[in-house]
Amino acid sequence: MGVLPGHVPTIAELKPGVMTVHEGTDVSKYFVSSGFAFIHANSVADVIAVEAVPVDHLDSNLVQKGLAEFTQKLGSASTDLEKAEAQIGVDVYSAMNSALTG
Amino acid sequence: MASTAAVPFWRSAGMTYISYSNICANIVRNCLKEPHKSDALAREKVHFTVTKWSEGKPEKPSKIPALNPHMIGFYVFHVMYSIAHSPRSGGCFLRR
Repeated sequence: MGVLPGHVPTIAELKPGVMTVHEGTDVSKYFVSSGFAFIHANSVADVIAVEAVPVDHLDSNLVQKGLAEFTQKLGSASTDLEKAEAQIGVDVYSAMNSALTG
Repeated sequence: MASTAAVPFWRSAGMTYISYSNICANIVRNCLKEPHKSDALAREKVHFTVTKWSEGKPEKPSKIPALNPHMIGFYVFHVMYSIAHSPRSGGCFLRR
């Protein structure tokens, strides 16, 4: 989803992933852990996230380890809550992985 | 007429959005490179005092050491957020 001035007012729930900010010709990428994006009628956009880090602050070894660990947890999870937590882990780590490699 | 919109998997497993969001944030925080990681962990520490109410009167408040907000049970609580000095927060202190 791309936001330019004049975008229709929107409230969007964000999934863990990369947000790219273009200021003139500068492009900076941030990894957002989850949150919301509000685009207002006056073309102001707010992004609210618990954690939003520049992509180069992520350590790819830790991401790979975490992905392997949570994929294994997902396979061995028994209760709904465990499955949900493992699934969340897999989603977030895969998103970080594609942010680092993509 | 009930809506037929699909429910996210974590909601159907009984988790709230706040828990989901905090789990995601913790995962991201644990994957940071070193100087940023210790800054983030210091920034996100939360101190709680929990006051149990019975018969409309508060009992003595009890301190719970810093821990994850989504692990707290159902209490009416007095929450003190201690936000460490960081460039982003400007060292503000909130009390609700």
